[in-house]
Formats: sequence, structure tokens, C-alpha cells
Amino acid sequence: MGIKIEDLTVTFKNKVTAINHADLEIPQGIFGLLGENGAGKTTLMRVLTTVLSPTSGTVTLDGIPYREKNFEKIQKKIGYLPQEIDLYPSLTVQECLEYMGDLSGISKRTAKERIGYYLEKTSLSEHRRKKMKQLSGGMKRRVGLVQALLNEPAFLIVDEPTTGLDPEERIRIRNLLVDFSEGRTVLFSTHVVEDLVATCNQLAVMKKGKFLYTGNMKELLEQAKGHIWICRAKDETMAREVEKTYHISSKQYVGDELQMKIISEAPPQIPCSACEATLEDAYIYIANQE
Amino acid sequence: MIHEMKIALPVPKQAYAIFFVVILSLVRGVSYSTEIGIALEAPMAILALTFCADAYTQEITSKRSEIQRLCPRKKRMQSIYKRIMIQEMFLLADAAVGYGLFFLFQNPRLGRTGQESLESEICQFFVYFAAIIVTLGFWGLLSNLLSCLFRNMWVGIGGGLMLWLITNSSIGERYFGAWNLFSYSFRTLEDNNDFSWLYGKMVCICIGILAMATLPKIIEKRG
Repeated sequence: MGIKIEDLTVTFKNKVTAINHADLEIPQGIFGLLGENGAGKTTLMRVLTTVLSPTSGTVTLDGIPYREKNFEKIQKKIGYLPQEIDLYPSLTVQECLEYMGDLSGISKRTAKERIGYYLEKTSLSEHRRKKMKQLSGGMKRRVGLVQALLNEPAFLIVDEPTTGLDPEERIRIRNLLVDFSEGRTVLFSTHVVEDLVATCNQLAVMKKGKFLYTGNMKELLEQAKGHIWICRAKDETMAREVEKTYHISSKQYVGDELQMKIISEAPPQIPCSACEATLEDAYIYIANQE
Repeated sequence: MIHEMKIALPVPKQAYAIFFVVILSLVRGVSYSTEIGIALEAPMAILALTFCADAYTQEITSKRSEIQRLCPRKKRMQSIYKRIMIQEMFLLADAAVGYGLFFLFQNPRLGRTGQESLESEICQFFVYFAAIIVTLGFWGLLSNLLSCLFRNMWVGIGGGLMLWLITNSSIGERYFGAWNLFSYSFRTLEDNNDFSWLYGKMVCICIGILAMATLPKIIEKRG
């Protein structure tokens, strides 16, 4: 069960290689995909949803190879929330979802039941009669997620599902995805590290079309262990000096001093102490290792 | 169907189509009622070109096509055909209203001589109606097909407009004769028994059927 990607390469007509000989296995459960903008995450998802054909390499979903003759079979198993989507502005939330359900081939009765259930789960029930164009960005995002869940796909691909949501809503959506992932595969792409910490155990880190890391979160944190340091700068001049020499993942004023988190392979040559690595630190450590 | 109507016929679109025939019936002068069909056919073709170009391409610009790809092809095609049909039906009603508006605003003389009976007027309207069904169907399908092929509605409109300019011209009349896409407009008004313009409409029907048959392949390949 799950997705297997072997030696996948996607090169566009303008010769830009978005994915470069990538290998990945996505098992059941929530799988996080982390990477900077332009890392190739969206391209990968477009390949997985059959929107884009790879230049070379193979992809299989539950053992079914991605070939044109299998596309219909594969497409039935997939739910997708793209990064950018503008759902029918002249329809109400309810109408829009009913329409999407009908397009997916779901019976009217089943669609109504599922719409009611997922609108409740995403706190959109009270907005069901509102037109799509009247919704805020976060609400539109949630409707987009509901449409992806409507046919209860075996493989759900969500690209930045929490963009534009307030903290409470983000938690709700994350929990919904966790619940949904039971017995299914969910590919959760984001660059919001907190979302992955709260939902995933397995993840992949992408950069420039390659996977820098694939595995579980604990091991990723282990890799960064011993490379994260905290130091305190007495003034701005000292802080600037530190910034010139080391990679800083965060800084904040603590009293009169500026506390800085340094990511460094070797212990910094300034007074500092080792500290626990967060996923964000680990991600930056991995991403800047090259 | 109601959802398709809301998607394919947003209020601004309906407004501009109605506004178009109102303005046309006010500014395009006709003396005899036989000229009304001619006055309407070519401009209504342009309206159909612009009106139907986004039947599917709105899915591409809004990125909804990426989701639609995951839906069964049959369902997707049904939705596109429904949208085109809804748009065409609306345009047809618009064209019928436009015919009436010419009478209302310009009070033309009846028939070719000004002394035709009401029966022949009704008959003349039905001939116009039959011709405009084919005209609207053809230009709507053509622009939609080109838009889907190039994934851009402006290419669909532009491509259709080029063909419109060629066929709706004296060159087009000379070269294509009765086989012209606008054969109804170029027909001999004086000869009531001349139905050679039906050839041109047959060409429209044949190309239209071809366009409808090609559309599923284009949607499948181009997404």
C-alpha cells in the first residue's frame, strides 16, 4: 500500500528541472513534505495527481503504475487540494460541494451526508448558504479541503491546506487530516513546520528537486542534535558579527540581551550552550548541509 | 443543471448579451422586416464566440481543471456539454428577443414589399430562427473548441474572429457562395424559393458535429 517513486525526473520545456532523479516511498498515514518555495513539492504533487507526466522514472500507487491506461483507476483513488484554487464564485458553499460531488460520481444522498459531516468538521456549517465569492481566503481553503475529502480517497494530496487559517482553525484542520489518514495515505505539503510537527511521523525534505531527507521525524531531530546552539549577544554590533559567521535560525530579545539560535556543524567559537533541536532547526540544518 | 446554469450564465454575462442586442436593434438600421435576420446573424455570431469561449477554460484559469482531472471523463464531458447547451439556449432566446426589438424600435415595413401578410412574417421568423440556431451553435462550439485546444479563451475568440472576418466579407461571399458559413445573410432576398443558403448551414452543422466529437479527445489530452 502507498506510493512508490523511483528515479523520478521532471524537466519542463524551458529546460528547468523541477524534480531530479528522486526516490521516495510514501506509506500509509500522514506523510509530510517539507521544502522551501521552488523546491519541487507542487511539481511532485502534480505528477502524483496525473496532471503532469514525468520526463523519466516510475511512480506506482498501491502497485498500479502511472501509465495512461491506468490513469482512470488511479484518479479514482485520489483527492487533491491544489495550492491555488478558485472554486465557483457564483455558487454557494453547499452548491459548490454538491456540484463537485456530482462531478466525482458520488450519489446525491452520499454527497449530502458527507458535505454535512465535513462542513461541520471544518466549522463551515453556518456558512453553507454563503456564496463562494463572499468567503474569506481561509474559508475558501477549507471548502477546497472538503471537496478533496468528498470522495473519501485512498490517497489524499493536500498542498498548503492551512494557508490563511487562524490558529484554532489550523488545529481543527490538522486534526481532521489525522483522523482522515486512518487506513489511508495523506501527503501533506507545507512550509509551515509546526503543522508537520503536530501531524506527521514520517516526512521528506525537498530542496532543488531532490530529497535531502526521508524518514521519521525523530531521526531527523537526531541528525540535528549537537548542532544547535544558543548564544547571547550584548549589543547589535556583536549580533551582526555572529550573523556574518554563523547560520541563525532565530533571535529574540531577552532582557537587554539578544538571544540567538545558531546552527553549526562544529561548536561556535563564541560563548554558547547546546540546546534541543526543533523540527525547524533540523530542517534548516539539513537544508544548509550541502 | 441549476448549478451549471449559475456557472455558465453569471449575471454580468447575461447583462452584456442582452445589452448587445438592445444596442444592435437601436443602431443597426433596417427598412424591411426581411433585413432583420441579416442584421442579426453576423453580430450574433460574434456574441456566441465570446459567450461560449469560457465554457471550459474558466476551469483552467481558476485551476479547478487540476481537480476535474480526477473526475470521471464522462461526467466532465457531460458538464461541458451542459454548459454549452445552456449558453446556446440563452443566446437563442436573446436572438429571438433581438428580432422582436427591431420591430419595437424601428417599426420596419413588413416583408420585402411592405405588404406581406402576418403568416409570411411568422414563416420568415421561423426561417431566421432555424438559421440562427445553426449559426449560434457553430460559432459557440468553434470558440469553445479552440479555447480548449489552446487552453486560452482569447485564442478561441481570436481564432473565431479571424474566420468570421474571412467568411463575413465580400471575398468570403465570392469564394464560398452558397457554402459560406453566413449563407443565410448572403442569400438572395428577392427569391423566396432560393434555399441554396442551406448548404452553408449544412457546412456549419458538419463542422459543429466534428467539433463536438473532437472535444473529449482535446479535454483528455490538454486537461
